[in-house]
Amino acid sequence: MKMLTLALATAAILLSAVGAQANPARDAIVAGFVAQAKAENPGFDGFSATRGEIFFKANQVGGKPETPSCTSCHGATPFTPGQTRAGKVIDPMAVSKTQDRYTDPKKVDKWFRRNCNSVLGRECTAEEKGDYLTFMISR
Amino acid sequence: MGLALPYIFKDERHLNRSLTPCSVYFYYLSHLIEKGPHYVSEKQEKVHPVKVWDLPTRIFHWSLVALVAIGLITGFLSPEWWMGVHLWAGYGTVLLVVFRLVWGIFGSEYSRLETFTFTPREVIAHIRELFFLRPTHYIGHNPAGALMIFALIFILAGITISGLLVLGGEENQGPLAGAANYQVGDMAADIHEALTFILMVLIAFHIVGVFTEIHLSGENLVRSMIDGIKRVPDAIKPPIHRDARPLAAITTMVSFAMLAGSLLWLFSTMPPSGLIAMAVNEDFQRECGDCHEVYHPSLLPRASWTTLMAGLDDHFGEDASLEPDTAIVITAHLATYGSESWDTEAANRFRTVSPDAPIQISATPYWLRKHDDIGEATFKRKGVGGKSHCKACHRDAESGRFDDQKIKIPNE
Ligand code: HEC
Ligand code: HEC
Ligand code: HEC
Repeated sequence: MKMLTLALATAAILLSAVGAQANPARDAIVAGFVAQAKAENPGFDGFSATRGEIFFKANQVGGKPETPSCTSCHGATPFTPGQTRAGKVIDPMAVSKTQDRYTDPKKVDKWFRRNCNSVLGRECTAEEKGDYLTFMISR
Repeated sequence: MGLALPYIFKDERHLNRSLTPCSVYFYYLSHLIEKGPHYVSEKQEKVHPVKVWDLPTRIFHWSLVALVAIGLITGFLSPEWWMGVHLWAGYGTVLLVVFRLVWGIFGSEYSRLETFTFTPREVIAHIRELFFLRPTHYIGHNPAGALMIFALIFILAGITISGLLVLGGEENQGPLAGAANYQVGDMAADIHEALTFILMVLIAFHIVGVFTEIHLSGENLVRSMIDGIKRVPDAIKPPIHRDARPLAAITTMVSFAMLAGSLLWLFSTMPPSGLIAMAVNEDFQRECGDCHEVYHPSLLPRASWTTLMAGLDDHFGEDASLEPDTAIVITAHLATYGSESWDTEAANRFRTVSPDAPIQISATPYWLRKHDDIGEATFKRKGVGGKSHCKACHRDAESGRFDDQKIKIPNE
């Protein structure tokens, strides 16, 4: 079991390294979600960029009516800039476009907490967060 | 009436009627109209040209007309971001009025104040003559005109001084920014406005007076103020002409400018009374600038900020929650620098919030009133990006000043 976790973590890190520049801080954040996902769901079998993409673009229910989707504020694709509801531009979410994305664990935690609550009306699961990150890191 | 009736009342027409002051005046006027009112032409007097108004006095007069017109138009009609022009008209008026007083000492004969300083008795006599449409001919200003000039100078001085107080007290600008607080500025604003109305009444009287005089004397006073020349009846002997002393005038003007300049400079070294030094708070700048511009703490009262900070998990339909320790730091910062701590116009006004939306600046009564005539379409422009985007139109929003001169609505 422990071996499997380690292998998955390594795989995830390797995967992220393929899509974009490796960054130790970012890798640590992803590794943290791997461990969390494992703890939440014993059947966890790795993050998926495809699931991340679907999650990012989907219209969700349960959140605030103003923000049905991640793309309510973020650009429709990972490469396009978005806009907050108050009108401020948000840089693209893909790591290849905005290099310093997902490198500050506090910032990542804060925005997952807020945005998931706004869009889904609940905390995101570690798997959703990891899928999303995997998707953005691969772009 | 106690007045000696002029010769025309030798005319017997009135004798059969009851003699009230009103009817006397009426008969008198009808008589004048038969005879023609121009006393110069009526008496068939010979006239000769006299150079009355020297060039500086004429330039003064028409510059003042232009500046007062600009001041009135920018003050009453224009959008507030014309304030810069209004201020320059004001500063220009001060210089002109001071120049006129100096020139009233060193100018040529008829520009000198003493030549048109009359005793109350002379003024009353003149008004009595005017009443009977038979005024004595004066070469320079007549007593009524002179009274008007002193009144205008007095009112203009009052308007410019109260204007500087408004500027310093309400807007925290100009030389009195440090000396006048908001309350003083607010009071001065009422005085400034009242004096402006008096000024307009005086101007109306002045114009009516000039045209009455033109009608009575046949002398085109407007042209005199352009070419400086009046036609004076030969019977009137002009006084010995004293020439202007330009050097003395310039010396006095320059020393006045230096004295007033250094005094104003001294005043302006005082920091603006409405603005306090605010410590930069990194947490506030970062956390409250993620989704929109960072609003200046002076734009809402303390109670509103506390309410806002307590409800961040549903902040205008969004979760803007913070780590508890960060929230505490920011709440303390906002409570320290809420609108109660400032004396700017904005801070004074935004202390009154909307009861329904106490945490929304753009819902306060003052905000709504000030942005009343900006259309919805304007707020939707790309360059504006909504009512909450103060910085788009107020280029000094970050400082909390919200100066009129710093307003510029993006065109698209
Ligand atoms: C209400 C607007 C809004 C919505 C909806 C929204 N976000 Fe965000 N998000 C933001 C803003 C604003 C930022 C911070 C801006 C920046 O980092 O450039 C941000 C930042 C983030 C970050 C941190 C980025 C970093 O550089 O560390 C993540 C992760 C994130 N969002 C994920 C999501 C996900 C997942 C969703 C959908 C569930 C979502 N967001 C929906 C507004 C939104
Ligand atoms: C997650 C995004 C987000 C964050 C973070 C955020 N706000 Fe807001 N804020 C908004 C939105 C959205 C509005 C509504 C703007 C609109 O209607 O255009 C708003 C509006 C406001 C307004 C009212 C503006 C008006 O129109 O009068 C104030 C005041 C305000 N925010 C203060 C703060 C403060 C203080 C902080 C920091 C503690 C903060 N905000 C952090 C999203 C945010
Ligand atoms: C579309 C552009 C626009 C936006 C956005 C805007 N304003 Fe204004 N504001 C103006 C204009 C124009 C005036 C002058 C109106 C007048 O007095 O005739 C004004 C006047 C004011 C004044 C009074 C200034 C004075 O001294 O008379 C204040 C204070 C002010 N705005 C605050 C704000 C705040 C706070 C916000 C953001 C919540 C904001 N404004 C957003 C255009 C804008």
